[in-house]
Amino acid sequence: MIHDLTQYLESIRTSARLDRNDEPCIMRELKAHIEDKLHELTESGLSEEEATKTCMGQMGSIKEIAREIYEAYSQGNWKQVLMAAMPHFTFGVIFMLNWWHYPQWLAAVLLLTAGMALYGWGHGKPAWVFPWLGYSLLPVIAVGLLLLYLPTKWSFLGLIIYFPLAGWWFLRIVIQITQKDWLFSTMMLLPLPVIIGWFMAITPSGRIDEKSLEMVNEYAPWIGLTFMMLAFSIGTFIRLRQRWLRVSLLAISGLLALTIAVYLATGRLVSASFIGPVLGMWAVLLMPPLLERQLKKGFWRSNKKKTPGETNETAII
Amino acid sequence: MEPKRDLLKGSSNSLLLSLLDGKTMYGYQIVKELEARSQGYFKFKEGTLYPALHRLEKSGLISSKWELLANGRQRRNYNITAKGRATLAQEKTQWLDFFNAISLVLQPK
Repeated sequence: MIHDLTQYLESIRTSARLDRNDEPCIMRELKAHIEDKLHELTESGLSEEEATKTCMGQMGSIKEIAREIYEAYSQGNWKQVLMAAMPHFTFGVIFMLNWWHYPQWLAAVLLLTAGMALYGWGHGKPAWVFPWLGYSLLPVIAVGLLLLYLPTKWSFLGLIIYFPLAGWWFLRIVIQITQKDWLFSTMMLLPLPVIIGWFMAITPSGRIDEKSLEMVNEYAPWIGLTFMMLAFSIGTFIRLRQRWLRVSLLAISGLLALTIAVYLATGRLVSASFIGPVLGMWAVLLMPPLLERQLKKGFWRSNKKKTPGETNETAII
Repeated sequence: MEPKRDLLKGSSNSLLLSLLDGKTMYGYQIVKELEARSQGYFKFKEGTLYPALHRLEKSGLISSKWELLANGRQRRNYNITAKGRATLAQEKTQWLDFFNAISLVLQPK
């Protein structure tokens, strides 16, 4: 029965998706409360089994406690809003001011992006780091696309070496972030379908040529606008407390930005350049929660093999 | 009779601040004290007490400090802050005005 309480606490811990700096303190406090409660109930004459049942009943449901904890800790401050919206905003400005064709600006922005992503990754992966991380994946995709333009022999080499390696590295990053919270994976990947949508819209022939560059020039303010929309959405996301609102916001803003991109560039929505990225957007929205489910199944399987005492720091003494 | 859930949720901040006014307490003690002072009327789902306390702490209305007990266990004690006292005073006035107005309507003289 004590094992039930350990699992109860462990379920709260995994469902509350706390920051690793806050987590030990909160879980220690809940554990102390349960210990006090159990002590009082057994002192009053209840058996261990009855005391455990009563304790869990009076504590409340795992779902409710985890939701309340999440909402108490999920809201970021205004500094975090600024930090999280900044990469979208920067890319928006680059296009709105038509600076995208100056290599020095692009290089500076990409360096800043990579620097911020590395800094945040090494400092506890706060919520603001994930948009930066998403943009720092762009050079990886760009190199992949360039490889496709190489002469057939080299292009084939790129396909069998570069793509599996880049895919493996990418998947590792997504898994690590999903272990923290799948919503952060979605937040990281959010601009990718929009960028792919714009890319497909400006390359109707499938190749980057003079006409594509002219189209980028023509649509630059709109491209900038879609990035600004993402900046606004991510800023709002950081301030929201409720998880369901956060999920809805990402879904709506991603699909809206994509729709605007493709409609402005092609004048219609029933085309491969829209349906392809829409499927990509759904993958971005659905893949992380499905991946998280698989990862959790693996976690519970490996935990079931352990004896109760081995389970870890949240064990009830 | 049990209080309506919405009513309890809406008043939980005032209740917690009121309990902590003048007395340092830890979570389990707060639950017991609330139950005793309200003669069993108010009962928190105990697990949801901590998010409520942490929200108050984030707003600067209360502060907390960990204490190491003689038996090696740790306990987090909560205190009301000056900002918390000012908020409590405001909320008390609002509650009393509201209570008086409701009484005037429900029990006319």
